[in-house]
Amino acid sequence: MTNKLTYMAILGLLLLSSFSFMSTDDLEEKRTLMLLTTDISYEAGSQIDLQFSSSTETTPPLYCSNSYGSTIIIPTLENNVLHYKIPSHLSYKSGLVNWTLVDKDASLLGQFQITSKQHVAHLETYIGPPNIGAGGTDYTMLVVIPTDTLDNPLKNNTLVQVQHQFLSNEKSEQIWTKHCIAYKNIYSEQSKGRILIASECLNVHSKEYSVEVMAGLPTNFSISANRNHHYADGNQITTFKTSVLKDKLGNIVSDGTYVEFYITTGNGNILMTFGSTIQGVATAKMLHPDHGAEWIIKAFIDGIAESNTVTLNYMKAIKDFEVAFSENNRSITIGPLQSFMKQMIPEGLQVKLLIYQDHQLIKTIIKNSNLGYSNFNLNLDSFTNGSYELKIKVAGLEKTFKTVILW
Amino acid sequence: MVSTNKNILRAALILSYIVVITLLIYGISAIYSYLNMGADRNKMLHTEIKKTDQYLPKVIWAPLANEGRPIDTQTLHDIEDDYLDAWYIKHLAYKTNTSTGIPDYYTESARENLFNHIARNTKEKIHIESTSLLHHPTLEFFSEDGQLAVITDHDVVEYKSIYKDNKIILETTEITTYKVILLLEDGFWRVRHLIKEALSSSTNNIAKAKVSNLMIKGINYYPKESPWDMFGSLFDTEIISKDFKIIKEAGLNSLRIFIPYDDFGKTKVTHGKLEKLKQVLDIAETHQLKVVITLFDFYGDYSVLNWTLNQRHAETIVSTFKNHRALLAWDIKNEPNLDFKSRGKTRVLAWLNSMITLVKSIDPTHAVTIGWSDAKSAYLLKDKVDFVSFHYYKDPDQLEAVFNQLKIDIPNQTIILSEFGLSSYRGLWNPFGHSEEAQASYHKIMQESFDALNIQYMSWTLYDFNNIPKEAVGRLPWRKNAQKRFGFIDKNGRKKGAFKYISSD
Repeated sequence: MTNKLTYMAILGLLLLSSFSFMSTDDLEEKRTLMLLTTDISYEAGSQIDLQFSSSTETTPPLYCSNSYGSTIIIPTLENNVLHYKIPSHLSYKSGLVNWTLVDKDASLLGQFQITSKQHVAHLETYIGPPNIGAGGTDYTMLVVIPTDTLDNPLKNNTLVQVQHQFLSNEKSEQIWTKHCIAYKNIYSEQSKGRILIASECLNVHSKEYSVEVMAGLPTNFSISANRNHHYADGNQITTFKTSVLKDKLGNIVSDGTYVEFYITTGNGNILMTFGSTIQGVATAKMLHPDHGAEWIIKAFIDGIAESNTVTLNYMKAIKDFEVAFSENNRSITIGPLQSFMKQMIPEGLQVKLLIYQDHQLIKTIIKNSNLGYSNFNLNLDSFTNGSYELKIKVAGLEKTFKTVILW
Repeated sequence: MVSTNKNILRAALILSYIVVITLLIYGISAIYSYLNMGADRNKMLHTEIKKTDQYLPKVIWAPLANEGRPIDTQTLHDIEDDYLDAWYIKHLAYKTNTSTGIPDYYTESARENLFNHIARNTKEKIHIESTSLLHHPTLEFFSEDGQLAVITDHDVVEYKSIYKDNKIILETTEITTYKVILLLEDGFWRVRHLIKEALSSSTNNIAKAKVSNLMIKGINYYPKESPWDMFGSLFDTEIISKDFKIIKEAGLNSLRIFIPYDDFGKTKVTHGKLEKLKQVLDIAETHQLKVVITLFDFYGDYSVLNWTLNQRHAETIVSTFKNHRALLAWDIKNEPNLDFKSRGKTRVLAWLNSMITLVKSIDPTHAVTIGWSDAKSAYLLKDKVDFVSFHYYKDPDQLEAVFNQLKIDIPNQTIILSEFGLSSYRGLWNPFGHSEEAQASYHKIMQESFDALNIQYMSWTLYDFNNIPKEAVGRLPWRKNAQKRFGFIDKNGRKKGAFKYISSD
């Protein structure tokens, strides 16, 4: 640093020498103002009085600029010495202060350094991120800015001691400030828990900071399915459940980890359900199909882990159904719809009626069963008298009536 | 008679009653509807973001090699934007001694330092007009959680003029290195610590560009129908091509054109205008004419806080055309000395000085000049320009004396007469004006002087004009009408007597 200052002083002199072409009269005039202060470095907060010898009564203003701004200082003249008192808001802040004596005959310029006090008032500490994953690859970063009582960062290469504790491990490490800050990456260990972090600089201790170590990324897992019966009654619910989700070190993943279950049906459709974990286990539910089907189920934690595949077969619950026509064939009653124990199928089974005329589909009517029956009325306004082909689809079963005469 | 008067009285009473009631109802309903208006949701959400460019110093980032977390471009942009805003707010604060906006860009502890400066400067009646023109930031550190960044801003070129009691005390250009710690708070990157680390003396030692060895015999050019609006809606390459042919065949080798600042889009130079300028230069090249481009026409602000905006304007134009073969030189500003009175000589000169530095930093090969309006201003900034140019509209017999004096005052510099001419207006507003014959003999004398003294020249101008915009010479009819008749060719396309002396060939 001192080297640099010497260099700057020389540069300043060189600059000044560029005025040397002035006539000797001017030179005489210039000599009347001379810098008396020799210090070029002060500690922040000290009283700085820049003194110039002067042989005249003039009081030239001094331009003075520090890190944050500039100002003009008016001197006091005592015994042919000009005193420029540097105001506290300039002398309190560390960094370079440059000045120029604004005089019409000679312009003197120079600079001095204000260094921070070497004792700590605050350890400005920043830690982030506040949550990291276990496993020793993820880390949090501690950034410490030691500042003195006047809020100046301490000089470079100031020692900061970092202490951190995790379970039975207690560590103390040394870091040094650079660019006004000191930082340390603190890595997670194998298990989850909480890291406590503190720092110390020049016998000043910070408060305690904590960083949560969460389980790492979950590994692949298995799933199971649980259902009341294996009939496709469109009424019961199948529950899917994951094994306990853990990271590669055996830590149970945090609650709320989102698991998606994909169900591929026999005809290639994909159904999706999801659950989030509690104590590592995610559950999800899905209504039974209403017709015989084979389900292939696989669960994913998007982009991270996947499960094994589970296959479920659903047997037909309804074996057959009856169709009755009445009121000029305009009223069609379907049922009784009976489930695997001859019990009436619960409400809400989908019944589909497709009406064709001249091999053209002209209308599809969908109804839900009620008390085991479903009833369709073919209105005269919509369906004029004539011959129609009717197709009825229930629970994967299908019945076709080629020529139904409506009249 | 009595009843008529009564009726008038009644009518007046009824009318005034109606008027009073109408106003009353209108007033009450206005209050009622105002109270029922409710908040405008659109305003509540601050969905509208109007970003205007207020401060655009040149920022050159060092290649990224920071400690801590690697940074993405978006975040770096955010940091740059807020950091520059912090500078802008600081300049503004010290100019006006108010603290508006400081809390947005300085953290709670850092802003105290600015407030202290403002308080003292207010008390001492000091204010500072400043700007920074060039930044070379290096990202030193970016924290893992993306909330803290450390920057070293090397060699920031800062211009300051310091006033006390509204009188300028000092004007200085400093090259300073700062260390900056920024924190992300409430979505703003705020300055936490700012430390001045080093100061290098402003050297300004930019090498002089070689002045072309072309012996300039030129003319100031505007098309006949669109004077002072060459790149406007009447822009026509055929007309320009025809005119350039006339200029070339008259024995001239160069011309001087003007780039209006507002018309070219100010800070964001419009592509269409650049395209038109390119066409002009291309046409000049085909006719083997060299072009002096005069920047910042119709610009007269110079305020320190807008310098960066002006510089981006010049930067776009200069960097676009610096390699064009028709380019002869850059004239920074036409007759800036006329703005001394209204804008202050110090400020105008400082503006010119920084603009020359910028133009030369982008285009070191082409010469730079300033078209001073008279000979006595020509010595200003003589060491910064690559050649001196001045305008002369006075007695042709005095030219020799004036020019010889200039040669003594400004040795070792090429001096060019970049505007001269005589109006042949004689009419209502000046019945004793010069005739066309007088104009011809003026140019004859001038050419003889040029030959004798070996002066490079550019005359004013090719055409007589029909319409002079008020921005050019003002509204006064005697000035406007005089300005219409400076041409070598009259408004009907007839070559005036002076055309014979357009060049010495």
